Amino acid sequence: MVKRLPKIGQMKIQQMAFMLIAVVLFFALVGLFVIVIRFSGLKQSSVILEEENAMLLVTKLANSPEFACGSSFGDSKLSCIDADKVMMLREHISDYSGFWGIAEIEIRKISSDSKECNLENYPNCGIIQVYSKNVNKLPASSNFVALCWKEGSDRGINERCEVARLMVSSEDKT
Amino acid sequence: MDTKKGALQISFGWLFAIIVGMFIIFLAIYGVIKLMNTEQTTLDVKTGKQIGVLLNPLETSFESAKTSSFTLPAESRIYNGCNDEGNFGKQLISISQKSFNKWTETNLNASFTNKYIFSKRIVEGKKFYIFSKPFDFPFKVSDLIYMTSSEEVYCFPDAWGDIEEELSNLNQENLLLENCTEEMIYVCFGGNCDINVNYQDGTVEKDGEIMYFSSDALMYAAIFSDVAVYECQLKRLMKRVGELSLLYGDKSILIGNAGCDLEIKTDLAELIVLAGNLDESQDILGLTTNVENLNEKNDAGGDCKLW
Repeated sequence: MVKRLPKIGQMKIQQMAFMLIAVVLFFALVGLFVIVIRFSGLKQSSVILEEENAMLLVTKLANSPEFACGSSFGDSKLSCIDADKVMMLREHISDYSGFWGIAEIEIRKISSDSKECNLENYPNCGIIQVYSKNVNKLPASSNFVALCWKEGSDRGINERCEVARLMVSSEDKT
Repeated sequence: MDTKKGALQISFGWLFAIIVGMFIIFLAIYGVIKLMNTEQTTLDVKTGKQIGVLLNPLETSFESAKTSSFTLPAESRIYNGCNDEGNFGKQLISISQKSFNKWTETNLNASFTNKYIFSKRIVEGKKFYIFSKPFDFPFKVSDLIYMTSSEEVYCFPDAWGDIEEELSNLNQENLLLENCTEEMIYVCFGGNCDINVNYQDGTVEKDGEIMYFSSDALMYAAIFSDVAVYECQLKRLMKRVGELSLLYGDKSILIGNAGCDLEIKTDLAELIVLAGNLDESQDILGLTTNVENLNEKNDAGGDCKLW
């Protein structure tokens, strides 16, 4: 003869089982909540680092070899961008994908129109878009620079410089 | 049914609760440990990325060399990794920090394409010194970054001329010219020390291995690096020389329209091939003639100088 457990005992076991499942679910949900908050903080700090990178980079980019005038415009100049070199950099920009770890680099002449530069209209144009990644971008950090290039005339080679803004944007990963 | 005296009476409900309770506690402890490890790895990767970002201001303009330092919150190991694949290769930084007297393990790297850090493969300490120096070949290629730990002091007892002046001006606490003690790392320009520099031949001998250099910037790089790091970073630098040569070659055509004729494109094309073929640091000595030629032609260009 099979001995049956009393009905009250069965109820208690069921209650406890449900309670324990509820406790496990509760802690699992709390854990998930904590992880979500932590990882959103991580994303935020990654964005902050990207912004910081763009901000520090914009102050130094003009002096990097791909941009700097060096001694090609007389004495070495600080924050001077060689426009001739940058126009050629545009032609080879696929090689530089991801090189600076940012989303966009643009140079805008202050006193000129908003015509984008290409090899046909250069140097009679206002914006040199050096690099642009097809992603969401954060607001640009910018720095004033001298944009210089060489022009031929009857009297020989002329060096022309204009004030421009070097703008660097990082990717918005949020 | 009789119950035996002394036997522990546990109802099924209690037994069930104990087993499931233990399971929950085990899961909770396991979860916390996993989360701690993830947090530590996150912190390591974040620190690596932060170090890379902090190196941005070390980009020099006209200065000959620049020094700086940073201190990490805990005793750390910075792993200097280098990958020479792709157009420019990659600078990899990973960090391991001491936590509960054990080094954290991480195989996640922060990577940078535009940085060249010369150091030992593993730099250990809390405070780290970094100084940078521009590398010209013949145009400016990049700023080389030399990273050392405050726990390692280098002594240059017989440094002379520009090198002595430069080290003295740097005023970096772990680079000494005098008052050296035995436990320091001796760097000599003649004689038998821990690191031996033969300035005339362009060689640095360290741990029985020889690294070749063609300028002061590369000499420092060889002094402060492991051979593997130096050789890999040199290959990366030569890749950048190749890319910059392409830019200057095309620029010479563009300014040719303005009336400039430098006749430098052939030499630049030659440099691209030679730099691309560099397999070990010894090959750099074969490039010096080409680099000197290019420099002479550029200097003779007057208003048409390319760099």
